[in-house]
Amino acid sequence: MFHWLEKNPFAFAVVVIVTIAFAGLVEIVPHFAQQARPVIGTTPYTTLELAGRHVYIKNSCNACHSQLIRPFKSETDRYGHYSLSGEYAYDRPFLWGSKRTGPDLMRVGNYRTTDWHENHMKDPASVVPGSIMPAYTWMFTNEADIDTAYAEQVTVADFFGVPYNEPIPMKDGSTKIIKMGSDVAEARAMALAEAKLIAQDMKDQDVKDAVANGKIPEIVAIIAYMNGLH
Amino acid sequence: MEDRPLEYDYSVTRLFLIFAIFLGITGMLVGVLLAWQMAYPGVNTFLGEGLAEYTNFSRLRPLHTNAIIYGFVLSSVWASWYYVGQRVLKVSMAESKTLMILGKVHFWLYFGAAFVIVVSLLAGVTTSKEYSEFEWPLDLGITVIWLLWGCGIAGLIAIRREKTLYISIWYYIATFLAVAMLHLFNNLEIPTYFASGGVGAWYHSVSMYAGTNDALVQWWFGHNAVAFVLTTPIIAMIYYFLPKESGQAIYSYKLSLLSFWGLMFVYLWAGGHHLLYSTVPDWVQTMGSVFSVILILPSWGSAINMLLTMKGEWQQVAASPLIKFMILGSTFYMFSTLEGPIQAIKSVNAIAHFTDWIVGHVHDGALGWVGFMVIAAIYHMAPRLFKREIYSKSLMATQFWIQTLGIVLYFTSMWIAGITQGMMWRAHDQFGNLAYSFIDTVTVLHPYYTIRAVGGTLYLIGFIMFAYNIYKTTTARPVEESELQNASPMGA
Amino acid sequence: MNKLYLWGIIIAVAMLAATYYTLVITVGDSGKSLSEVMSGDIVNALAIAGAAALVIITTFVVIKYVRQMQDDTADGTLINESWDGIGEYLNDIPKGWAIMFILTLLWGMWYFTIGYPVNAYSQIGEYNEDVAAHNTKFEKEYASITGEKLVEMGESVFLAECKVCHGLTADGINGTAANLNKRIDTKSVKYVINNGSNYSLLGSEIPMPDRSGLFNSNTGALITDAEIDAVSAYVANGMTGAGADVFAGTCAVCHGEDGKGMEYVAPNIVAYTPSLVINVLNHGKQGVIGGMPAFNRLNDKQKEAVGAYITSLSK
Ligand code: HEC
Ligand code: HEC
Ligand code: HEC
Ligand code: HEM
Ligand code: HEM
Ligand SMILES: [Ca+2]
Ligand SMILES: [Ca+2]
Ligand SMILES: [Cu+2]
Repeated sequence: MFHWLEKNPFAFAVVVIVTIAFAGLVEIVPHFAQQARPVIGTTPYTTLELAGRHVYIKNSCNACHSQLIRPFKSETDRYGHYSLSGEYAYDRPFLWGSKRTGPDLMRVGNYRTTDWHENHMKDPASVVPGSIMPAYTWMFTNEADIDTAYAEQVTVADFFGVPYNEPIPMKDGSTKIIKMGSDVAEARAMALAEAKLIAQDMKDQDVKDAVANGKIPEIVAIIAYMNGLH
Repeated sequence: MEDRPLEYDYSVTRLFLIFAIFLGITGMLVGVLLAWQMAYPGVNTFLGEGLAEYTNFSRLRPLHTNAIIYGFVLSSVWASWYYVGQRVLKVSMAESKTLMILGKVHFWLYFGAAFVIVVSLLAGVTTSKEYSEFEWPLDLGITVIWLLWGCGIAGLIAIRREKTLYISIWYYIATFLAVAMLHLFNNLEIPTYFASGGVGAWYHSVSMYAGTNDALVQWWFGHNAVAFVLTTPIIAMIYYFLPKESGQAIYSYKLSLLSFWGLMFVYLWAGGHHLLYSTVPDWVQTMGSVFSVILILPSWGSAINMLLTMKGEWQQVAASPLIKFMILGSTFYMFSTLEGPIQAIKSVNAIAHFTDWIVGHVHDGALGWVGFMVIAAIYHMAPRLFKREIYSKSLMATQFWIQTLGIVLYFTSMWIAGITQGMMWRAHDQFGNLAYSFIDTVTVLHPYYTIRAVGGTLYLIGFIMFAYNIYKTTTARPVEESELQNASPMGA
Repeated sequence: MNKLYLWGIIIAVAMLAATYYTLVITVGDSGKSLSEVMSGDIVNALAIAGAAALVIITTFVVIKYVRQMQDDTADGTLINESWDGIGEYLNDIPKGWAIMFILTLLWGMWYFTIGYPVNAYSQIGEYNEDVAAHNTKFEKEYASITGEKLVEMGESVFLAECKVCHGLTADGINGTAANLNKRIDTKSVKYVINNGSNYSLLGSEIPMPDRSGLFNSNTGALITDAEIDAVSAYVANGMTGAGADVFAGTCAVCHGEDGKGMEYVAPNIVAYTPSLVINVLNHGKQGVIGGMPAFNRLNDKQKEAVGAYITSLSK
């Protein structure tokens, strides 16, 4: 039977494809409906946070940092509650990572603050002696790409029904609305308003001035993103 | 069948082969940089603060994996395909104009894409999915390139003289089909520029899957990308080059048969081992673990078949550095396909995951198996492509030992680093508090990162010696067709 | 014994010994013994066992085949085809391999249907058990942790959680976080007087007014810039120097004559107290130095301990 296949390349190819496609079907398909449901309290990213997430991806922070807290006592002690599937409902792409050269960041918003990130991103080893994380100085001058973040918000709202501008149930029974601009101009203004709140707690005068002048440096966006990781 | 050897046409092989060596140097150079950056973070700004955005670890890391896997490895695989394919199917590329054109377009498109990829990764254009970082325009380009190769395979098979497909061909076909399927499904994404009516960056896209689903698809892809880029085409190579170089017949057809179909069936189920203790369902994880352990045997089957092919031929192993590369390669293949399953056991993965032990495992396979096998294949092909003997056997032998030392330093240091780090993360002290802050577990690794960097540097030095040897081969002593039957001719 | 096996043993032993010793040394360097770090965690033992199995199995299996290369000879019937001169023997598959393959397949089926059938295992269930076991163990021990031992425990929390911001010696790393060896610096006092404070330092929201609510009863007027400078320095210097009169006239009503605070009214501002630290850990704060996050994932005993430790630093 096999020797016959080896003389009939087309049949051979068909058998190979059936053999390899089978596993994927069984493993992956059954979970699609079930896994994407958000847990209560999970909200989509604001425009500025999403722009920060793009900065995170652009610089491949996920090469060193995971965002997945495994259910071990040692991990929940260090990083907080273990991860739940529904908490990732708005993560496209997922950013679990596969290497922890640096610590997990899934809930870093709970135990680090704006000013700390500012010092740390500028020069990690000055805050954490012995750190091998690179300094990200250019984030203090590069501008964040708010437009692309907004384009992505529009896309996910349209295609995947991500609930922008809708009340979202929170853990304490209240609801929360994450707003999305109705056009680019409004999105930019909203992001700037959010950026001003972050810049308030920052020390770098150039960044403060830039924000005051209506610009949003990447560092502000990425801090907004990290502060939002709970 | 004719007796006189066909005049095979190696023009496409030659292009891919030269490009593979170039990409190998590039990718490994970046790897060495990464290794030094982890040992001495000052290296992040080795071209000055101003260029740090493009020279820091996190920007360069995807460049290393992509330049090596989709550059060096794929280019070598294709060089070998355009060589082995003709020979075991008994047809020459020169017999079909269409196939020649397809082959050349295949190369030049790939060549162009490689440069776009380097520039875009340096600029930070990435989707962050490991081993699948490219944005949609590149995804499309890659699809075209891949299909061109597919047409080449189908075309060559269609006009073949040898009716039965040799083992190597099975593996090339599997590589083509599997990667096509994986690439398509892992890259389903929506370009935001078009979806939002023209806002933002034109090349940006958003994944069709979210969170846990995205992870499932990504690691179904990621695991099998390893299988079908770093394993099956390399097996295709060894099944040709080892018996050819040594003049020995394959030990057992049945073993190759069972290993092939076993590998095809089992591999795809094992992807869950990248998601152990994550939020994917427990049974998917269990399945990943169980199938990983079962996978040892089909993997070892090929390696054992190769080792047994050399039965009674120790004098060849001892005499030829070229064969040494392949034998040690098979050994490292066995090592990493036992290491992987051990790391896939849930309790072991609890320590190993996220640590350098995984990186060690990767490079056991990458440096010891993939790297060595590719080097051997190129050494075997070069005299046939250039009709000259290999420039220097002693250089080759020195290279072998330098690189072997490099690998040993690499994997021992990463193995110790990973286990140390994994244990320190888990440790609680007498009060039930975490025993170490995260940074303690980083500074403790400095010596191992340094040793790894030295090991990597040695491997790169060996590779540069290799490139030099091949370069000199193009002007070495010319040889007769008859000298090229089996063992490759080598100068002193 | 064949020379090869001797080499195999040497390689395997060397690798395992190297791993063991480096583990002892590196872990030892950080002031803890290996057994202390590894104890009570089966996962460590399994990882080591796996690592050992990996080296030993690969080494000896490969040696087996190398010996065949040395001593055996190739033979068998050849298949009809030959590809570019490459032949294939029709040899049977090696028995050991076939048996192992069948065994792993059987094991897999057993594992999936009987051993751990679908849904019989839950990693969260396992986690809950681990946590419960850990907690019962330490709840008992916590009762006996007091005094010096409590400070020691606090130091251990500090080194794991706080030193990233406050530094190894709690000096605040060049002013990027509070220097905890000293109650408070001039800059912070000044900032609080100018802006007020409302970070539940007393456990619940009892705010301190900003300067527009701070009367100096000595002058009968709102506190002035000069007075703020003076009193800030006075407080930061541990209630010494000029500014005592401003303090008495403005601050003492709430913080007490000696600055040691009053329950439900105002916190101690001359020394850290465990309760102040605990309140900071529960609520976090945003001051002139920067943001101090809340630490809800520490348990009560850990907070108490680190409170004791920080209190001990400035004594
Ligand atoms: C070379 C690896 C590396 C890269 C790349 C890297 N980091 Fe880190 N990161 C570390 C290490 C190591 C630490 C722990 C030491 C420290 O705190 O600096 C760390 C710590 C951190 C922390 C503190 C978390 C905590 O719990 O203490 C944050 C936040 C962080 N990194 C964010 C980032 C961001 C954002 C990026 C990308 C722009 C990034 N890192 C890139 C290695 C890296
Ligand atoms: C009306 C009562 C009141 C008066 C008057 C008052 N304080 Fe306070 N003070 C408080 C309270 C309440 C807090 C705690 C606020 C909080 O929880 O954030 C506090 C907090 C502080 C703190 C912050 C301690 C820390 O660790 O952050 C300082 C410093 C301080 N007071 C100094 C002064 C000085 C100096 C004066 C006089 C110029 C003064 N206070 C007058 C009630 C008062
Ligand atoms: C993300 C950085 C960060 C971490 C982690 C951190 N701190 Fe702080 N902490 C600060 C900063 C910044 C301040 C100064 C706030 C201010 O401006 O008053 C501070 C202030 C304090 C104060 C003084 C509060 C006051 O009222 O004067 C105490 C006490 C303190 N931290 C204790 C701790 C303890 C205990 C831990 C660990 C469990 C810890 N901190 C972890 C950043 C941090
Ligand atoms: C039987 C065969 C194998 C099995 C069961 C296996 C298993 C594993 C496991 C369990 C991991 C770690 C996942 C994690 O915890 O992060 C891993 C990672 C990896 N393996 Fe293997 N492995 C095998 C063979 C190979 C081979 C031959 C290579 C080739 C070079 C290879 C390349 C990789 C790579 C690149 C990664 C890293 C993936 C990442 O980025 O996280 N593996 N493998
Ligand atoms: C000169 C030789 C090489 C050196 C010094 C080197 C170094 C490195 C370094 C430092 C990393 C990053 C590890 C980390 O993030 O902790 C890495 C990752 C990686 N390298 Fe290499 N490398 C070399 C050759 C290769 C080769 C030949 C291959 C493939 C055939 C390869 C494949 C990979 C892969 C797949 C990863 C990602 C691993 C993961 O995510 O787990 N490398 N390499
Ligand atoms: Ca990885
Ligand atoms: Ca893509
Ligand atoms: Cu895998």
